[in-house]
Amino acid sequence: MSAAGHSLALRGLSKRYGSFTAVADVSLDVGQGEFLTLLGPSGSGKTTILMCIAGFVAPSEGAILLDGQDITPLPPERRDFGMVFQGYALFPHMTVAENVAFPLRVRKMGTAEREAKVRAALDLVQLSAFGERLPRQLSGGQQQRVALARALVFEPALLLLDEPLSALDKKLRAELQDELKALHRRIGRTFVNVTHDQEEALSLSDRVAILNHGKLIQQGAPAELYEAPRTRFVADFLGKSNFLAGTVQEVFAGGFAIGAGATRVVTASAELPPLGSQALLSLRPEKMALLAEGETAENTVTGSIASWSYLGAGYALNVATPDFGTLRITLPSWNAPIAPREGLPVRLGWSATASVPVLDDEP
Amino acid sequence: MMSHQPGLFARGSAWVVALYLLLPISIILPVSMTDQRFLSLPREALSLQHYVTVFGSPEWLASIWQSFQIAVVSTAIAVVAGTLCAIGCWRLASRATNLVRALMLLPIIIPSIVYAVGLYRYFAGLDLLDRFMGVVLAHGVTGIPYVVITVSTALAAFDPRLEQAARGMGASLMQTLRWVILPRITPGILSGAIFAFIHSWDELVIVLFIASRDVFTLPRRIWDGINENLDPAMAAVAVLLVVFTTGLLLLDLALRRRRAE
Repeated sequence: MSAAGHSLALRGLSKRYGSFTAVADVSLDVGQGEFLTLLGPSGSGKTTILMCIAGFVAPSEGAILLDGQDITPLPPERRDFGMVFQGYALFPHMTVAENVAFPLRVRKMGTAEREAKVRAALDLVQLSAFGERLPRQLSGGQQQRVALARALVFEPALLLLDEPLSALDKKLRAELQDELKALHRRIGRTFVNVTHDQEEALSLSDRVAILNHGKLIQQGAPAELYEAPRTRFVADFLGKSNFLAGTVQEVFAGGFAIGAGATRVVTASAELPPLGSQALLSLRPEKMALLAEGETAENTVTGSIASWSYLGAGYALNVATPDFGTLRITLPSWNAPIAPREGLPVRLGWSATASVPVLDDEP
Repeated sequence: MMSHQPGLFARGSAWVVALYLLLPISIILPVSMTDQRFLSLPREALSLQHYVTVFGSPEWLASIWQSFQIAVVSTAIAVVAGTLCAIGCWRLASRATNLVRALMLLPIIIPSIVYAVGLYRYFAGLDLLDRFMGVVLAHGVTGIPYVVITVSTALAAFDPRLEQAARGMGASLMQTLRWVILPRITPGILSGAIFAFIHSWDELVIVLFIASRDVFTLPRRIWDGINENLDPAMAAVAVLLVVFTTGLLLLDLALRRRRAE
């Protein structure tokens, strides 16, 4: 298959159902050959955006551009996009090969060429031996791969994926994530994926767009979003985070300090808030350490273990502190400095660069 | 699985109802094999003479053939119109289409005698009385509800994402209909066709009103036979009718079972 990726742009896309706004003024660019994931909780509008791109839902406002051309008024059958549906939507009365051949059949392609392409597509997803089976005779993972082959066989301009892995169990999901990623690298097409699974979004995508209540909250590379979330929602939805609220007490070059009760905490920050304003810091659980006797850090907080759990690779401790409520901290379990026990007093430490200031989302 | 066993009363009343339904039908079997020359139970021996009479009678054979032709053509009308209506209502799915679907059921809700009187008035003006076409139209239209019901039921179980998938892959509406929707609802269409056929095959009331001499269907001939003379040949015809209809219903059952697999 050729590596002809196409670019897609959304310009001020909105969709309203009566007084309910499903998508509010979303603008987004997807570059050639890029893997973009729309991530959000249910009801965030991510699927509606995908359905607008596919052409099944007409936007109330805004435009969808493919390589700069406005395709907003085109019906789905004229857009030439491949799509993997939630639950796959394989035709149950057709064999695997007939399913994959379907998009070629509607294009009236000759039998010989069609068969060659179907074979190539089934090879691509390692299902060559299953052409004569019916979808219901396949496992969930195999059905998912048939859906992929069917969506790719006609060399679509764009591949749309609607929660492609949500119906699979966790282990299989991880395997297929790797396969999907490898497939994307191999064929170089533009992929737009929708999911509510943040791990899937982080591991698969070149870029992630986070949505909530129909609005685009933040977009960027996975690491960028994880390390520098702009709002409380992003920090909380993508991985886990503690939030430290306090009043800005001191501002200096490259950072500031907040105070809450008797505790003072410094953070690195590019933007500097005015003195006396309220600030909110996001602090990832894995970026804190348990301090040994006499050990120091830029920030320290004392507390006691309220509860804890063993996760195999690590421990998660919930530490009750006087000024910041309960803070969650994770430690690797193989060389944990303590044996966790409820009520055990501990001292937490972290550096100024471990935390980032975030905006509190509008309610 | 239900572990609950039906009690003696429930089981008993089920058998009573089944017998009540079956007995009147089963009585015609011995009657049709009577050795007498009038409608009665056999006295001394079983005889197939009345079956011979039926198959040797040009009148009976003509009526059977005519009923069959009418049933086939009217079934075709009912299937095409009913299927298209059901698919259209399903695709548009609004309050208006619910109303349309309800309207489509009118022919089985309204007493057929009322319907027949209405048809009689209209057909007189259209020169459709006592015409093959007139009966075909009447039976076709009154057969539509059966098809609408069975096809709508089949469509209710159809995953709308399959249609989206087909269109997303570039299929036009006609291609989607032919390759994706129709194959999935064929069992529903066949069921509807079988019911529409049976409806036309044993329909009497409308025929009594809108046909007289040229169109003389099988039920009509049985009816006249009862009114004029009590010829046991009627019982033989009735048995043939029952066998034929039962065969169609068994076919429907087999099709449903295949769909369920």
